[in-house]
Amino acid sequence: MPLLQVRDLAVEFVTADGVVRAVDGLSYAVDAGQTLAIVGESGSGKSVSSLAVMGLLQSPPARIPSGSITFAGTDLLTLSRKQHRAFCGEHIGMVFQDALAALNPVYTVGWQLTEALRARHGLTRRDARRRAMELLDLVQVPAARQRAREYPHQFSGGMRQRAMIAMALAMDPEVLIADEPTTALDVTVQAQIMKLLAEIQAERDMALILITHDLGVVASVADTVTVMYAGKAVEQGEVQRIYSRPAHPYTRALLRAIPRLDHKGRQLDVIPGRPPDPLHLPDGCAFHPRCDRAEDVCRAAPPPPLAELPGGGSAACYFAVEVMADGKPAERAES
Amino acid sequence: MGNPPSAPSPDVVLEVQDLVKYYPVKRGVVFKRTVGQVRAVDGVSLALRRGRTLGLVGESGSGKSTLAKVLVGVEQPTSGRILVDGIDVSAMKRAQRRELRRRIQLVFQDPYTALNPRMPAGEIVGEAYAIHPRLVPKGGRARAVRELFDLVGLNPDHVNRYPHQFSGGQRQRLGIARALAVKPQILICDEPVSALDVSIQGQVINLLERLQDELGLAYLFIAHDLAVVRHIADEVAVMYLGSVVERGTETEVYEQTRHPYTRALMSAVPLPDPSMRHRREEIVLSGDVPSPAAPPSGCRFHTRCWLAPLVAGAASDSADVTIDEPAAVPAVCRTDRPELLPQGPPDHLAACHFAEKLTENTTRAEAAR
Repeated sequence: MPLLQVRDLAVEFVTADGVVRAVDGLSYAVDAGQTLAIVGESGSGKSVSSLAVMGLLQSPPARIPSGSITFAGTDLLTLSRKQHRAFCGEHIGMVFQDALAALNPVYTVGWQLTEALRARHGLTRRDARRRAMELLDLVQVPAARQRAREYPHQFSGGMRQRAMIAMALAMDPEVLIADEPTTALDVTVQAQIMKLLAEIQAERDMALILITHDLGVVASVADTVTVMYAGKAVEQGEVQRIYSRPAHPYTRALLRAIPRLDHKGRQLDVIPGRPPDPLHLPDGCAFHPRCDRAEDVCRAAPPPPLAELPGGGSAACYFAVEVMADGKPAERAES
Repeated sequence: MGNPPSAPSPDVVLEVQDLVKYYPVKRGVVFKRTVGQVRAVDGVSLALRRGRTLGLVGESGSGKSTLAKVLVGVEQPTSGRILVDGIDVSAMKRAQRRELRRRIQLVFQDPYTALNPRMPAGEIVGEAYAIHPRLVPKGGRARAVRELFDLVGLNPDHVNRYPHQFSGGQRQRLGIARALAVKPQILICDEPVSALDVSIQGQVINLLERLQDELGLAYLFIAHDLAVVRHIADEVAVMYLGSVVERGTETEVYEQTRHPYTRALMSAVPLPDPSMRHRREEIVLSGDVPSPAAPPSGCRFHTRCWLAPLVAGAASDSADVTIDEPAAVPAVCRTDRPELLPQGPPDHLAACHFAEKLTENTTRAEAAR
């Protein structure tokens, strides 16, 4: 049984203009020591789904009409909000994109870490302080003793992200959810942080859920990938297969749209149009107005279900097998 | 920093010579005194050619945005020269300067804050015609604005909409249309696509390329995404702590890299190809960019350089390597600031004392030899 399993999760927001279905029928699973990447553009529901796992959605306006989130046999959605938060405190940690907003500006980094350790493990102040220093060392904050006395604004972006990872690790989580952990950082610092996360994950046999829009980062760390579009998972599978033989036209188009460092290429292939308005999703497959493969069946209801692919993985497209047989997405760049 | 006086080429529309911009660091409430200087841009020389794109890359704090501000006249340079069509900007009269401002336009990073939320899109785009009335083409301002909308791929019927009614990609198109209204020769694009989603990024990049072909614009394209820069740029300059450390054509900089910082930057960009996962050279730089208020001595990069210790290790008989510091940085890197010198092709420049150690296919192990 997987460590964390999400089944048929739906999240809705009640707004003045109507009900927005931000996540629609999402299922995924992660095992200890595994990395799952959830990829999507802004508004695809990738962050909302992880907030639901953490029990961090404000209700109202958010509501979860269906689905289950099971961690080692416990369905988190059957717990009260308070129990849910306490459960996540013990088992599931989260690292956010904006570390400056996630840390308390009026307390020192050391104080915040120490408090978390005392609350979670019931340590004495002295033990908690020692453990805090160990954690700052672990995430490679130089001169930890001195830096612990500083406030979040005195840290650089990369150091702040390290402090937040230390804070999440203080809880000894079995699953770590990292929501765009390196998006605001320079590439050199991004490389440092991703390397650090991989080392810590291997050492602790932790499950990592990486939420990102950066297909380069995904290619370098993920084991399995879930691609989301307009609230739904449109493709899932093992990372090698997704990059070499994508089965959903959206995945293929995304892979073609990224400029690459290793060759110049000419005109970039683009995805025409833009992501749909979540209040007025198109009929049929939500991607059909932008899809190069769409036929009449895609425009008519119902949207294609997420179906198993030969050789593993799944995709929500009527032409998945054909798209997959079309060959590597990179090949057109050489032509 | 002796820059060889370059022969004026007819293609060069904008030239920057030894540009310096320092910001004073002040202390005290009533009696303010200057206690130091932030060396944001510290001796940069660049040239922009008609119809071509110069990519400028570097980490945050490298001074690339400050350079953009100086070029569009928002900030005054501390020293150095800016030549537009061979004429020194500082020697220009008021009227000439106004004309100059028209010729150099800026496209901002954040399309959400760069547009006045209370102004209809058409007025935003046509606002510059109030300052430059003689630029209004025949047929009037309204028609000119509609044509601009069409040029950047926006629906001309949307001139009365407000910025919030446009998506991120469309707002960036509005920003580009506004810049193009006054018929500039040069566009300074400061991270124009980094706030956009992947699927939209490509649309804006392709638009910029098409406009360049149609209008013969020169671009200074500032970005931290090296893959995007490689795609759009003809020439590339890499900045670190206020200085250019490497400059050359796109192929020279990306394929015959001669500065260890450029090499490290490129190895840090994750490739969208899982099969390359453990087959690529990885250079992870330690620490952050040092403060430009107190830059390191000698070569600014020596505190984070991965090549210098390898070079020092190879020359282990040199006097400055002690047992306490087995992999110390060579003395020359700590004391002498390297000049930007030609590396093979005359236009491929790099500022490193040991640039010759980095030839085409050198790995880290080979550089140590």
